[in-house]
Amino acid sequence: MGSLFREIKFALKDRIVFICLIGVALLSTYSLVAGLQESASEHAMIERTNDLVTQDRQYNLAKQSDAGGAAYYSFHFAYDPPSSLAFVARGVRDDLPWKHRIRMLALEGQIYETDTGNPELSKIGKLDFAFVAAFLLPLLSILLLYDLRAIEIRNNRWAFLSITVGNGNRLLLSRAALRSGLLYISLIVPLIIIALFSGAGFSGTLLVAAAVALNCVFWCLLAYWVFTRIESGPTTAAILLGCWFFLAVAIPVGGKYAVEKSIKVPSGGEILLMQREAVNDAWDLPKKATMTPFFERHPQWANTADVTKPFEWKWYYAFQQVGDQTVEPLSQSLRSAIARRDKAMGLVSLASLPLLTERLLSQAARTDVASFQRYESCVRDFHQRLREFHYPMLFGEVEYSLEHMTQLPDFKPCL
Amino acid sequence: MKKITTIEAENLSITRAKKVVVKNLSFAVKQGEVFGLLGGNGAGKSTTLLAFLGFLTSTEGAARINGVEADVDPAATRRAIAYLPESANLYPHLSARENINYFLSLAKVKSSADDIEMALNQVSLAEEARDQRLSSYSKGMRQKVAIAVAILRQAPILFLDEPTSGLDPVAIDEFNRLITKLAKSGTTVLMVTHDVYGACQVADRIGLLRRGELVGMFEATNDARISVDEVHQAFASGA
Repeated sequence: MGSLFREIKFALKDRIVFICLIGVALLSTYSLVAGLQESASEHAMIERTNDLVTQDRQYNLAKQSDAGGAAYYSFHFAYDPPSSLAFVARGVRDDLPWKHRIRMLALEGQIYETDTGNPELSKIGKLDFAFVAAFLLPLLSILLLYDLRAIEIRNNRWAFLSITVGNGNRLLLSRAALRSGLLYISLIVPLIIIALFSGAGFSGTLLVAAAVALNCVFWCLLAYWVFTRIESGPTTAAILLGCWFFLAVAIPVGGKYAVEKSIKVPSGGEILLMQREAVNDAWDLPKKATMTPFFERHPQWANTADVTKPFEWKWYYAFQQVGDQTVEPLSQSLRSAIARRDKAMGLVSLASLPLLTERLLSQAARTDVASFQRYESCVRDFHQRLREFHYPMLFGEVEYSLEHMTQLPDFKPCL
Repeated sequence: MKKITTIEAENLSITRAKKVVVKNLSFAVKQGEVFGLLGGNGAGKSTTLLAFLGFLTSTEGAARINGVEADVDPAATRRAIAYLPESANLYPHLSARENINYFLSLAKVKSSADDIEMALNQVSLAEEARDQRLSSYSKGMRQKVAIAVAILRQAPILFLDEPTSGLDPVAIDEFNRLITKLAKSGTTVLMVTHDVYGACQVADRIGLLRRGELVGMFEATNDARISVDEVHQAFASGA
């Protein structure tokens, strides 16, 4: 214990180490507070939008006299609220939509017709804790560790130190471990404090702390392995920076390129266009062309009265659904390709600890691709519930009334 | 009482970068003796020292400390050694007292504040400088702090590499007196130097190294120190 305090005191007396650790703590705090503010602003936006959409729905419903109009003017706000740990990692939350305004029209178009915020900003990305812990932490480790042995050699102190302590490399290992430990503490203490105050889950915080520790230990051991073999500080730094570039840039970027080349993903725009064409074409097609594929899915309505008028709501909503059915294979293939790409990137991350750390943090923060897909599936389930509520009224099984409309499904996020 | 051998080179040969730097070197230093290894640049004296410190492996023969081969168990042999390099730059962000405390703690040696003050007095480090960071010290002052560490370690064997380099003449005299005193108290000293005068002032025996081989041995008697002229002549004749 005495030697631990001795080395802590020794390390902190070094101004560069001290300034670096303070800088890391500030950077960590900034990234976490920025993440927390982002989450708070999303929560506020959800609450505000939800209220507005609900008021708008109630206002419009009061004016409707039939089921078709009621379904047409009933908008619902679907959203994926930020998790209690979302402040840790933005993940794909800036790239993929986490909020939608849904009604009982064709769903696919509504899912892929979305505003993702400022696309230029999402391209640059935000400085979140995950980026600091996954990609900047190795650079800071290199900064603190690359010169540990070289400075002793340069100052003609290495032999003196080794003779004094008996085994100089063992002392350097303990110094490297201590500096890495201090770096870790500077990074993780703000996280723990903010997690405690914001009520983030214990297991999630623990997972984040463990993933960051793994990254920290890896760079400590790698730096030790290199600096005990190379006498020159600049050469050690160059080798370690090369390792960082390879692990934190080349593998993730190269892996992403290879994955995107090998797994083709249909674009959401393509789905939107195809679905709109299918819906628009339906206006000019015989009613039977719409109703037959619709009744294949809903045989319980097959015996209801034929569509004879130029416009009937049941026909209108049927061709909305048929529009969805038309793009179903493409939509399914999009979702499955995104999942396969994500799985492939998971394999790539096994060769890149920074990428793996970032993925683990996004997973803990529920801002990863899997969480996005869960949300999308939640929206699809909700839309299905909307259809199940409206169809009996449209096909005359249940009579339309404002009282019945009070049972209209409400969107509840899937957690 | 028969004095035991603490430092011994037996047919020691060392090859570095395919070049034989030390060739068939043999000598032994007994407890309490000050042995000077003298030679010009490239004579192999620092290589020999590094072998005793356990940083180099012998190609043939052995470098032993208390009978243990230094390259076989360096951690064990280093426990008995204190080492003073040429121009030791101890930690510039610590003061003299902090540096001493730090190094003694690394060596697991317990010394009181009085012991530390006594050692700093012995090396004549100005009192007002003792709490200043070493970054403001001259080369000679830094060397004095390193000497104080070596003294306080109380190791039975002391290796010195050009120890008076950077010291002023007064400090050199004080240092020589200190080495003599340590030797009298039983410390064995091996000093590597190219300073003929300095070596003759303090050494009981001097081995002259040339191109990795021991080419001469000079010994002080009870009545007289080693003759500077004699050593200088031998040193210069091979240059």
